[in-house]
Amino acid sequence: MDQQDTHGSTVEFRNVKRIFGNVRALDDFSLTINPGEMVTLLGPSGCGKTTALRILAGIDKDHEGTVTIDGKDMSGVAANQRNIGMVFQAYSLFPNMTAIENVAYGLRVRGVDATKRLAKAGELLELVGLSAQADRRSNQLSGGQQQRVALARALAIQPSVLLLDEPLSALDAKVRAQLRDEIRRIQSTIGISTLFVTHDQEEAMAISDRVGVMNKGILEQIDEPGKLYNKPKTTFVAGFIGLTNYVPAVAYSKSAVTVLGQQIDISDHSPAVAKGAEVTALIRPEEFQVERASEGATIITKSFLGPFTRLGIDVGMNDLVYAEVTSKEAKKFDTGDFVKLLVHADSVMIENV
Amino acid sequence: MKRQFTWFDRAIIAVTAFFFLAPLIAAAEYSARGYGNKGHTLSNYVWIVHEQGFWPALLTSMRISILTVVLVMVLMVPTVVYIQLGGRKYRRLVEILCLLPIVIPVVSLAIGAQVAMPKFMQSTSYELCCFYVVVAMPYVYRTLDIGLQSVALTTLVEASQSLGASWTNTLTLVIIPAIRSSTMGALFITFALSLGEYTLAILLHFHTFPTWATNVSQENLYGSIAISVTTLGGAWILLILIAFAPRLKALFESKKERAI
Repeated sequence: MDQQDTHGSTVEFRNVKRIFGNVRALDDFSLTINPGEMVTLLGPSGCGKTTALRILAGIDKDHEGTVTIDGKDMSGVAANQRNIGMVFQAYSLFPNMTAIENVAYGLRVRGVDATKRLAKAGELLELVGLSAQADRRSNQLSGGQQQRVALARALAIQPSVLLLDEPLSALDAKVRAQLRDEIRRIQSTIGISTLFVTHDQEEAMAISDRVGVMNKGILEQIDEPGKLYNKPKTTFVAGFIGLTNYVPAVAYSKSAVTVLGQQIDISDHSPAVAKGAEVTALIRPEEFQVERASEGATIITKSFLGPFTRLGIDVGMNDLVYAEVTSKEAKKFDTGDFVKLLVHADSVMIENV
Repeated sequence: MKRQFTWFDRAIIAVTAFFFLAPLIAAAEYSARGYGNKGHTLSNYVWIVHEQGFWPALLTSMRISILTVVLVMVLMVPTVVYIQLGGRKYRRLVEILCLLPIVIPVVSLAIGAQVAMPKFMQSTSYELCCFYVVVAMPYVYRTLDIGLQSVALTTLVEASQSLGASWTNTLTLVIIPAIRSSTMGALFITFALSLGEYTLAILLHFHTFPTWATNVSQENLYGSIAISVTTLGGAWILLILIAFAPRLKALFESKKERAI
């Protein structure tokens, strides 16, 4: 297809607040999306991620703070004047139109003549690999195909920003993974600034330039996926991204703790603690090294995860501690075996009990 | 999967068909009888179109019906859409308002509401249109409401607006076609109701098709039955045309494309 004229725009949320009754859906929310960047807002249900997206789309206007696109204040600009393409969580194809008519709709309402708009819609259907289904209606398309058409439809108007509101959540795992990669490919090809909202961390980590983790209306941390995983700045982020063990520890000093009999430094973003205080250390499964022992901790569960195997180990706490080892190494262990857990990290994040 | 009809299904269909068709067939047969046992003839149907006042009355009724359909759609489609989208708190109020035309006797409506009608509209066809809109409201509201509940209205509206569409575009290009069968149902109900309404027309001294038919029926018994059959047949043809119009249009367009 022809390269679109779309260029990435800069999107900025400045101190945006949105309150529903007694609930702060967005609390002093600030975020900048750079030109051509794909930013994902990730968080549990009700964290405010969709509210942020709807405010940018102009669907939700009842908020404080400022939203700008390329420096232009969007307050007072109606949703249909913002030139924003949006793909929804629910299937949103117009049932009375074929796939190509759906894609051409945005151009139709802009007064583009039929020949030009159908040619453009045809190009976009080709981009999403659905040229052969151009004349089918939504009830003749699978869920994945419908979302591809919705993506082509959103791109047809050459929007300054693309908004993706959990577009993959209704699809099965295989289609979701395929479409996820395809969205990233198309977004990179066109170079459009994109805000993606999801509660699926794998999805967020796989395709985003940066991921913002939200909790109770607050943007807890926004960073590249790797940094978010390895250097979480809050205990919520550490707990939400990936699997985390919460292990009792005692502050050995202001900068180190004793956990499972070992002394480990406390990471930068942890709260301050007094020497001798009882705290909880947050440790990822891959940060443990498992060694055979004649007594002590016991392996209770063993789950094969392809290249890795997850061991559920009873160390005398209420909950099991999970450690991940390579599946090759896991052959040495069986449930019921006694093992010793060694923390293999430079530092750990802690939270006060 | 193709549905298999049981003997019970067939019996129900047969009884229902007999219930509806037997009086129609009997009426059609009766209307084709000639005076003096001269066998069957179409003379009663020819008599209708040649009877004085037929065409003016029919044209008046058609004009009022078309205007009523336009008015009721312009009024009710946005109202029902609004209630579905954000105005749910007004739902109960609108439902009560839509029930009033059913519970208030037509005589009270005609006499009471005529007083409130602006002077420039009194005794014009527009006055009758306004009354017919009120009378059609309960049926149109229910039909459209059911149609809108069957589609993901909020998502469709948001999708349309995010693509740059105005409210008019969203209504005419997305919502109304998406609930085509409900819209057609509402349209047909309103048209049929306006075309056949008698009480309001006679109370307000309008010369419409039903008032004309009542007058001339007293002169010609077979002719009056022929008028009933014609009216009913006309309504059926209209219903079929409305129901199949989009398919006929699609068929016509595909033939044209093939010809190109």
